[in-house]
Amino acid sequence: MNAVSPAQPGCSPGRARSAGIDGQGSDAAGAAEIEQAAGQLRERIDRQFRRSLHIRTLDTGSCAACEQEIRLLAAPHYDLHRLGFFFTPAPRHADLLLVTGPIVRAMDVAVRKTYEAMPGPKIVVATGACALGGVLGPDAFVHGAVDAVLPVDVWIPGCPPSPLALLHGLLVAVGRLAGKAGELAFVTEGTPR
Amino acid sequence: MPAWFLRGLRRGVVTTRYPDRPDPSAADLPTPPRFRAGQLTAGVAGRLVEVCPSRALWREDDVLVFDAGACTGCGRCERAAPEAVTASGEFELAVTARDHLIKRIPLPRQPRP
Repeated sequence: MNAVSPAQPGCSPGRARSAGIDGQGSDAAGAAEIEQAAGQLRERIDRQFRRSLHIRTLDTGSCAACEQEIRLLAAPHYDLHRLGFFFTPAPRHADLLLVTGPIVRAMDVAVRKTYEAMPGPKIVVATGACALGGVLGPDAFVHGAVDAVLPVDVWIPGCPPSPLALLHGLLVAVGRLAGKAGELAFVTEGTPR
Repeated sequence: MPAWFLRGLRRGVVTTRYPDRPDPSAADLPTPPRFRAGQLTAGVAGRLVEVCPSRALWREDDVLVFDAGACTGCGRCERAAPEAVTASGEFELAVTARDHLIKRIPLPRQPRP
């Protein structure tokens, strides 16, 4: 802990030394304080999304079954607008990117541009078995899963995920519900150990 | 006059929580399988892995690994081994970590006679 790590290339040795000798305690406290403030700010921003979220959908080579279910979210039966969620055609207005399909490599530029056009903080949701890497593996034509190209925040399984599953996933994404699949075992009658 | 209109006037809120009540259409949804551990032998597991069209089931020695994220809910495993596999009825499976969807199911070491 006391040993000064060898100076990184580009980092002046004087700066590394001063941080090692006099600034250690206060630096750690300062870093913790900044971390805490950042956490609070993040939480405040995330809370803004809870009842006002704009969604941009991105089809990266899906069979359109997922799109069909996503379209149904706006129908009166599911009515996602009552939750404060809206679809937007412009990634620059979007808070959440709903990605479907196995990310075909032909979409590389479009995926990157869409993600970069979104203002931060942004949420990425992988939707459907293709986007989760369940159907197609990485090969010459597809990346196989969304997390190969984008940082994913929420995964929604299903082929296609029903509008109810999508609604649940969106509420998990904004922190209004907790994901429960982690506790499900998919096994009954005493697992042998 | 609809009851929700008066309720809305009284409370100032006309929308409902999610889910307000179980959706009747949820019973018909294709859902990932649920395995009966007692019926699951190495032979049955091998058959299930063979029949799975997506990359949702595979074997790791004495463990059957089930990836609920990769499952398409096609029901082929339920038809291949109805005694060991049933529909789970779970469809709200969104998670914040991909690993939460991968389930490891230990198999008995000795095949049953």
